[in-house]
Amino acid sequence: MNTRLILHINGNEHSLPDAWHGRRLLDYLRHELSLMSVKEGCGEGDCGACTVLVDGEPMCSCLLLGGVLANRSIVTVEGLSDDHRQRFAQLCEQHGGLQCGFCTSGFTMMSAWLAEGGSETGQNSSDKLLAGNICRCGVYQQLKKVIADLL
Amino acid sequence: MGSSASTIRPTQLPDLELFWPTHIDELIEHIKGGAKLLAGGTDLLLQARNQGQPQKLAWIGNIESMHNFAEQDEQWQVGAGISLGKLISNAAFRRAAPAIVDAAQLVGSVQIRNQATLLGNICSASPAGDTLPALLVHEAEVETAKSHSLLLDDFLIAPGQTALAPGDILLSVSLRGLRANEISCYYRHTERKALDLAVASVAIRLSFEDDGCTIAAARIALGAVGPTAMLAKQAAESLVGQPLTKKSIANCATIAAEICNPISDFRASADYRRLLIRVLVGDVINQIEKRVQLLP
Ligand code: FES
Ligand code: FES
Repeated sequence: MNTRLILHINGNEHSLPDAWHGRRLLDYLRHELSLMSVKEGCGEGDCGACTVLVDGEPMCSCLLLGGVLANRSIVTVEGLSDDHRQRFAQLCEQHGGLQCGFCTSGFTMMSAWLAEGGSETGQNSSDKLLAGNICRCGVYQQLKKVIADLL
Repeated sequence: MGSSASTIRPTQLPDLELFWPTHIDELIEHIKGGAKLLAGGTDLLLQARNQGQPQKLAWIGNIESMHNFAEQDEQWQVGAGISLGKLISNAAFRRAAPAIVDAAQLVGSVQIRNQATLLGNICSASPAGDTLPALLVHEAEVETAKSHSLLLDDFLIAPGQTALAPGDILLSVSLRGLRANEISCYYRHTERKALDLAVASVAIRLSFEDDGCTIAAARIALGAVGPTAMLAKQAAESLVGQPLTKKSIANCATIAAEICNPISDFRASADYRRLLIRVLVGDVINQIEKRVQLLP
């Protein structure tokens, strides 16, 4: 069986070791590649802390196996442009869009997707699109302002 | 793997054995060997994590025919590999099957919709599965590897139980897109706005006569008020042959509430669910009337 799998992560090619074929993308990114922006909140697809972009679309890395991602492009916060990260950070500071910061990576990824014109139907509201990102500190109103300013 | 293995917490997914079949026959061999079919994985990986089963997975991403998503003569074919996100973002599909898109948009979150598949939602056969009533009003038929196609209504048997024989697999679902003078809609009641399951739900498809107001045909399906999503045939028939009026809508809603078969559980009582059905039927018909006005 052809098991040499190449993943494109933040613009770099990675040959996925066999041992990681049947394990979560989340663990590979975090534990093997030390991409610490990728957080595990629930591990069940509910909280969005583990959000990464796969071929430009947001997905939960806690519900993806490494072995199903051959030739796909994966982007984490580390792979976003400095420009976007700085603007997002600045706006978070301005609006108080960050408390403990655990949800921040997920929201940063969603903000990058939205800034690139991300949408499901071309007309849904960003509120609805952010429903999969939970903030246990409850800074939703502040994050709403951050996202509104960003777009 | 370096130090990584030791830092993985026990709540995490056990290591799984993954296969990449490229043909249906090969997939079926793996299924015979005890593997489970992996499509979106949003349910299956949780099962693997919480119950330690399945341990072997056969991923369908490399099987070309599983990625069918096309229309022919108003019949849409959706393969097992097609995510809900793909359905929602397809403008032609949004016009052809509004009720299914309404339902798909209520499942999980953007992230989940990009991963979860329509056929996964069918296989889970949850009484509250959002897409199921919507699929029923669009006359969905499922195709399995071993049998010919089967009406979705016959495929859904009980909560979590389908007519899929052991060792068989679901290949695709075909559904009837809207024709001229037709509109469909799905709506549900939940306690929270997002990431929640329906307490009760209603899908309706109406066909209008050329006069634009008399109902020529109707299909109504109800969710979360019985062991499976169910068609409410008498309720639908009560609308046919007359224009929509307050009275005809109320009558239809009453029939739907009478023939459904809800249970009481921690989320709602049976009586409350019946009441919801009555309200939702009216709401969905109102929504359909609004959509009719937007038709070209
Ligand atoms: S950790 Fe993936 S969604 Fe919560
Ligand atoms: S800032 Fe703490 S979880 Fe959002």
